[in-house]
Amino acid sequence: MDQVAFIVWRESVEALLVVGILYTWLRASPEGRRGMPWLWGGVVAGLLLACALALVFMGVSTWLSDTGQEWFQAIMALVACALVVQMVLWMKKNGRKLKSELVSGASSNVQRNSWWGLLILVMIAVAREGSETVVFLWGTVLAGAQQNQAWLLAAAGVGGFVLALLTFYILQLGGKIITWRRFFQITEVLLLLLAGSLLVNGIDHLISLEAIPTLVDPVWDTSGVLDDSSGIGKVLADFAGYRAMPSLTHVIIFALYWLGIVLLYQRLRPSTASAAVAARS
Amino acid sequence: MFRRALAGFGLALCVTLAQALLAASAWADTPTFTLTFKEDGTFEPQRLEVPAGRFKINLVNESKVPVEFESLPLRKEKVLGPGLSSFLVFTISKPGEYPFFDDFHQSVKGTLVVKPAQ
Repeated sequence: MDQVAFIVWRESVEALLVVGILYTWLRASPEGRRGMPWLWGGVVAGLLLACALALVFMGVSTWLSDTGQEWFQAIMALVACALVVQMVLWMKKNGRKLKSELVSGASSNVQRNSWWGLLILVMIAVAREGSETVVFLWGTVLAGAQQNQAWLLAAAGVGGFVLALLTFYILQLGGKIITWRRFFQITEVLLLLLAGSLLVNGIDHLISLEAIPTLVDPVWDTSGVLDDSSGIGKVLADFAGYRAMPSLTHVIIFALYWLGIVLLYQRLRPSTASAAVAARS
Repeated sequence: MFRRALAGFGLALCVTLAQALLAASAWADTPTFTLTFKEDGTFEPQRLEVPAGRFKINLVNESKVPVEFESLPLRKEKVLGPGLSSFLVFTISKPGEYPFFDDFHQSVKGTLVVKPAQ
């Protein structure tokens, strides 16, 4: 029973983290509030996609083959990674000089693209883990129905989701207690870490598909020190892209990712003019 | 930026699909093994021995609940509905023991034992 609630919580929390942070960001400014319909649109689209994927996992529908599923997972992870980074950079710029940008027509075009990016990001975040939650709950409740436990199991599932919502609420509360600036800094780091883990997840799928080589596999093995299948190692794996036995490809791309982030941040810092150039390129 | 990202992924997709088609021709001599999710909530076999290199594992879910084969060291996650079968292809060059588990029932664990290739 607790296991059902725990798994639902764990699967929902990543999506709620993304949605929760974006929600808090958007709510903070009148311009941001205009993005709310895009945010909720993304949530709805994500739930629909999650159900469509769940049908494939349950063998009810076959609109995706086995290889197709693998590709779909890889592309979802990589697109989500790119969109998270874009969103963080966009929010960073936006927070600084919102109103002057909105006046010119060209920037409203940029704005529109960013809203689409926001919608797709939220959609993927919800669909990725949501599809597994749907399969898990659906199967567990169906199996429980044969032992007259369906209601109990369904309640445990709802309990897990409520726990996740509570996490979401605490996040919102966090946005009120600490200063806005500090909240932004913390969530920015959290999102960049998450984007890194999405990137590593995408590489996992691409290597599985033999689309990219491993070069050296593994480069090292730290599973004796910090196992990536349980405890803190697992949390680090899910939210920061930790791998106990990475391939050289993982190490190189992961290093390039963080190098790229550092360079982008350095270009953003000196002046707003160069920041605008960086954002357009 | 978003459109450009999409175009980039589209291109990457085409290139890799072509590669996948080429790789498919090397299918015939891939060693194949079977891993079953039993109804009593265990793996069969608990320890699966395979030769280093490229191999294929058929996954069979005989239980009445959905399962998820997951292993970060093996870089795989695969959800299977009740009564379904599927497969995963691995390429592992380093002999050793690789743990895997059922992410939906975390006490259900197994080990993949990779033996040195002859």
